[in-house]
Amino acid sequence: MPSLSADQAEIMAALRTRVGNARGPRYWRALDELIDEPAFRRHLHDALPQVSQLAPALDRRAFLKLLGASLALAGLGACSGPPPERILPWIQQPEGVPDSLPQFYATTLCAGGNVAGVLVETHQGRPTKIEGNPAHPASLGGTDPLLQAAVLELWDPDRSQSPVHQGVASTWDAFATEAAALQRRFEPDGRGLHVLSGTIRSPTLARQRREFLARFPGAAWHQYEAVDEDNALAGAMLAFGRPLQMRLRLDQAAVIVSLGADFLYEMPGHLRHARDYADRRKRVLEGFTGRDPSSAPTPGRLYAIEATPSLTSANADHSWPLAESALPAFARELAAALGIADAAGGPASGMPERRVQAIAADLRANRGQSLLLAGPSLPAEVHALVHRLNAALGNVGRTLDYFEPAEPREASAASLQALTAAMSGGMVEALVILDGNPAYATPGELGFPELLAKVPLSVHLGLHRDETGVACHWHLPATHALESWSDLRAFDGSASLVQPVISPLYDGRSMHQLLDLLTGSGGAPPIDLVRVTWDGVLDEAGWQQSLRQGVIGGSAPHAVGATASAAPSVELSHETQGSDIELLFRPDPHIRDGHYANNGWLQELPKPLSHLTWSNAALVSPRLAAELALGNGDVIRIAANGRELEAPVWIMPGQAERSITLPMGYGRLVAGHVGEKLGFDANALRHAASPWRIEGARLTKTDRHVALASTQQHHRMEGRDPVHRMTLAAFLANPPAKTPERRSLYPPRLQKSGAEGYAWGMSIDLDACIGCNACTAACQAENNIPVVGAEEVRRGREMHWIRVDRYYEGRPEAPATWHQPVPCMHCEHAPCEVVCPVGATVHDSEGLNLQVYNRCVGTRFCSNNCPYKVRRFNFLQYADLDTPQLEAQRNPDVSVRNRGVMEKCTYCIQRIRVARIGADREGRRIEDGEIATACEAACPTRAITFGNVADPDSAVSREKASPRSYALLEELNTRPRTTYLAALRNPNPALEDES
Amino acid sequence: MNATSPRAPVIHGDPGIGGLTARLSDLVLERPPGRGWLIAMVVALALAGLLAASIAWLLYRGVGIWGIDMPVVWAFAIANYVWWIAIGMGGTFISAALLLARQPWRNALNRYAEAMTVFAVAVSSLFPILHLGRPWFFYWLAPYPNRMALWPQWRSSLLWDFFAILAYLIASILYFYIGLIPDLATLRDRSRTRGKQVFFGLLALGWSGEARDWRRHETLSLLLAGLAVPLVFSVHSMVALDFSEALLPGWHSTIFPPFFVAGALFSGFAMVLVLAIPLRRLFGLTDLITARHLDNLGRMVLAAGLFVGYSYAVEIFTAFYGGDRYEIALAMNRLTGHFAWTFWIAIACNVVAIQALWFRAVRANPAALFAIGLTVLVGMWFERFMLIVTTLYRDFLPSSWGTFRPTFWDYATLAGSIGLFALLFLVFVRVLPVLPMFEMRKLVQHREARP
Repeated sequence: MPSLSADQAEIMAALRTRVGNARGPRYWRALDELIDEPAFRRHLHDALPQVSQLAPALDRRAFLKLLGASLALAGLGACSGPPPERILPWIQQPEGVPDSLPQFYATTLCAGGNVAGVLVETHQGRPTKIEGNPAHPASLGGTDPLLQAAVLELWDPDRSQSPVHQGVASTWDAFATEAAALQRRFEPDGRGLHVLSGTIRSPTLARQRREFLARFPGAAWHQYEAVDEDNALAGAMLAFGRPLQMRLRLDQAAVIVSLGADFLYEMPGHLRHARDYADRRKRVLEGFTGRDPSSAPTPGRLYAIEATPSLTSANADHSWPLAESALPAFARELAAALGIADAAGGPASGMPERRVQAIAADLRANRGQSLLLAGPSLPAEVHALVHRLNAALGNVGRTLDYFEPAEPREASAASLQALTAAMSGGMVEALVILDGNPAYATPGELGFPELLAKVPLSVHLGLHRDETGVACHWHLPATHALESWSDLRAFDGSASLVQPVISPLYDGRSMHQLLDLLTGSGGAPPIDLVRVTWDGVLDEAGWQQSLRQGVIGGSAPHAVGATASAAPSVELSHETQGSDIELLFRPDPHIRDGHYANNGWLQELPKPLSHLTWSNAALVSPRLAAELALGNGDVIRIAANGRELEAPVWIMPGQAERSITLPMGYGRLVAGHVGEKLGFDANALRHAASPWRIEGARLTKTDRHVALASTQQHHRMEGRDPVHRMTLAAFLANPPAKTPERRSLYPPRLQKSGAEGYAWGMSIDLDACIGCNACTAACQAENNIPVVGAEEVRRGREMHWIRVDRYYEGRPEAPATWHQPVPCMHCEHAPCEVVCPVGATVHDSEGLNLQVYNRCVGTRFCSNNCPYKVRRFNFLQYADLDTPQLEAQRNPDVSVRNRGVMEKCTYCIQRIRVARIGADREGRRIEDGEIATACEAACPTRAITFGNVADPDSAVSREKASPRSYALLEELNTRPRTTYLAALRNPNPALEDES
Repeated sequence: MNATSPRAPVIHGDPGIGGLTARLSDLVLERPPGRGWLIAMVVALALAGLLAASIAWLLYRGVGIWGIDMPVVWAFAIANYVWWIAIGMGGTFISAALLLARQPWRNALNRYAEAMTVFAVAVSSLFPILHLGRPWFFYWLAPYPNRMALWPQWRSSLLWDFFAILAYLIASILYFYIGLIPDLATLRDRSRTRGKQVFFGLLALGWSGEARDWRRHETLSLLLAGLAVPLVFSVHSMVALDFSEALLPGWHSTIFPPFFVAGALFSGFAMVLVLAIPLRRLFGLTDLITARHLDNLGRMVLAAGLFVGYSYAVEIFTAFYGGDRYEIALAMNRLTGHFAWTFWIAIACNVVAIQALWFRAVRANPAALFAIGLTVLVGMWFERFMLIVTTLYRDFLPSSWGTFRPTFWDYATLAGSIGLFALLFLVFVRVLPVLPMFEMRKLVQHREARP
């Protein structure tokens, strides 16, 4: 914000001149006098409102302190504690915890369109870490990387700090004057007044929208989301005539057919879906290995048919790439095979008939416990057909049900187009943008930034002064979700409250406050704006209960009976025009539509499957790459509909042959220090009428090359079998024998467990792991792991303590994909320990392999000798020691490492210590499950189990007793404490001859 | 009689005892620096300056200025270290082992070869320190008494390597210095300026030339030689154990200690050869460092090189014979992988090129010997680089396989280390007698006494 700093410089210059002119003893009086001088006060008020408000009440010393703090730290909030209102700690918090221990607050976050309840860990009032709320239906304790990164978003030093008017620092008071003028101007009917928000997921925002439209009946409220659910909405309208929402019960579904629906990672509710999916698989195995195999649920099977591989297809028992243009035809063929006759006809999808028949037979055999899903990018007709199929298979009410959404749902693309039409028609006199970035995240053909420039008055509320904030007349800083009162509805319709866990760090306000300012006086305390919504639903006790619990009991809507009508037999066309290459647009797995571009954790987190960081890339199939002689990082020019862009390619095994996927969210121009000028902006080619897919793209290879930063260079197991895997049938018929304890000539160097009888160990279930990287993100947040940047990642110097390896097997056109999280193995015979000349890596009595940062001189021999390559070295000074906001974000229980030292996973030793202190105080042993490492706690599928392996009854010991248990690189006799459970797949016996 | 035959004289012509002393001491005391020396000095100073800049930048920024990465956390620095310390071996072996073996022809070579050892070991010992993440704490490897009562970790080969280098450096400096004392006294006596008299007088430690002095000197030399020879073997074995101790394929091998000793002899002799040829030319010493010396050095290079070639063969053979998946993959990777070119450069330089030394005509041709010597030095550097990088960039888990791309600072440090060595050596040839006067006098006397 150059204007702001210019202003500040001016103030300082004024101060200096005045103080400089004063001589001798007058010097100290000068400041007081200066403050009281009206002209100076006005000036000060404009540039530094925080200071000017406080100034009269302050003595000289406090004023100087404040001034210094404001100028130097630019509003650092490290000293701000909890907000003034009564916020309530999470219900299970023990009573009377001392201040030094972290406090947990339950709140709700919306990340990438997914609403989930979370617990926020705060240290002395500073939020440092997000955990899932086990009581919340969309989390059940799990989190994803976006939720983990919310704390960094809060502490982002590039956040907007004060209102800006026409590029000049301003104040909320000045805006309040503007808002009052607006109200007067648009009284009574509000024609020409437009509001643009994202999808409304907050009951309070819905209420405020109703009130706004009641106050200004002629005004228009638009909802636009770059990652929309329009097709699902339209599909429901087609099938039911009402915008019903689907609620999945994956724990009941044996056979799942996903047509491009990434329910494990992308779709709202994915944490819950992943948990339900994994839990059912666990129950199947437990049933078979238990006493009574007849109690086991039917073994499940997942078929994924999609154009671009996702984590769902990576975890499927059968995944077949198919161009998205052919997916409707495939849906129809499947419907025909299931006896829905009117679906027959039309062009063929190209999928072999026997696969269609095999799936249909599997679905028929599992009536009532099967599930078909259509992805958000498929046309509404396919969604409608899927509703019919689910009904025909008797799945409704068993593996899914429907409910009426409480908040008004609106087709996002149509809503945006209505706005742009009004803007180009000059009908928009004032536009208020609530927390969105339409100047970036809208299809390029609409030319939104140019239209925005023509609007006479534009107001933008946002966390960052981004592309839209710069283009608008007014930019207003928004409070972060962790600083605001609000409420949100999750994927299943259940509502929960958003409570602030810290006072706003900067001069921000929430969108509820902004709307209050636009419709009323704006003076209402933020908490009241939310409480009003729940008047009559929640009494005082209910309010408190909801805050403590993190979910509003009984708020989930009831299922409604719905019959999918057979009527809309719409032509599912399969047309091609020009070339046969289709372009698919997808939100980036971590940056989404660009919202998280300035988040270093998310930029550096390897994207699932491609393992790319810091950039997007056009995903092309291996065959298309061979045809065009493309290698990873070669830049192609893509032209479609008269627009073109240049993008580096990434060869994606499992990508449909003629489909190119363009991830969105990159190419940001005004995002902050971290997120600008990375990758390419796919919006340039996006089309408002068909935002997910365009056909007839033409490609030309350029001679440019971009060095993409991927964290994994090699993708095959090379016969080394780091991931043990087998089919369910083979496992049940012939469970692998436990490898006998290896004999050694040498006496065991270490005791099995410490004096107190603890021996820490971990088991990672590769059958449950979906490869979502939540563990990596959680570990980064918990352990103060620095972000190193694209150039360092290109050099292989990323610092993540736990990484998720991904291996491909089989043909690159349709490979099997395997994931394997790799933290430190905490080997009992640790090869790293013997080679350290200074004893900086040592073993403790409980089996932890510890790194003593203070002692490390950085020979790096330990890393050489680690067969698992889990050690990370500070080649340069990676930890940012200068930015005060980042200091405030850090976990005070974990050392920040400086350059030249080695670091690695500690099994979250700080959490072990906390548990031990608690247990010691109460004179008891640490209970099983009392310690959850950060990765374990974050895992949505509970693939990671940590505990005391010396206790045969602990959860981790039970896992390790499984016949699926194995140690990575067991032949090296390092005796790792981290072990794995083999992954299983359950391919259809009818398709045995396929992959 | 052929000039290169084993019975050929090791001194040509008859310089006479006095003439010899005058000639050699005049090199130090009287001879003005030549053009060649000045040019070489400028180049060496520039390169040494580059080294100083590299080190300053390294200390300021960290080892990340090099191309090292995960998983290749060792590369140039360690390759340079092993390369330089191996070069040092040549001098010690010539002066100590051949002294014990009573090979008088070595007398013409041992002084500058010992200087070479001291400088090479000094340059090499920079690298283990600089390569540390926190070089200013290198002394933590030493078992010194400290407030925290911390010892080093005795099982690590790096620790023993630290001791080995230190012991070797001290022993080679001592040996070099003891050998210099009689000559320093000669220089003191022949100096005509007060400054030089004081300088050499202080260094000569009051040497009077009495029989008692000579007897003690002889005994001490023999003792130090007896100490230096096992040290040579131990230091290179220790260097080898830095790698053998790891469980990595391609490093975890019992052949490494003898292999490293052979490699050290090989590159050491090559360096002696590379230094001898310009030295005898520039200082007009062809009658003292004769064709027979060069011939002998050529034979030594060939013998050591054959052993090195044998080691390569054994490594590959045992990989396949042992049948270990990882060793086989590594061997294949060395032969055909991304860095296979380094392996083939090493083979071309260290195995193929030296076969020319079977021919007497090649051994009699100083230019050819010089070229082969340089080739071997290049080859041995690549061998160390290959050994380190090919093992590290692809170890056990394919997911962590990576690559290595050197940066400017990698090259700058390597070039700078050569510059520093050259600088030290150029100063040495101007300040100290490049040939041991007293030992050369012995040779002449021997010859005069015999007929």
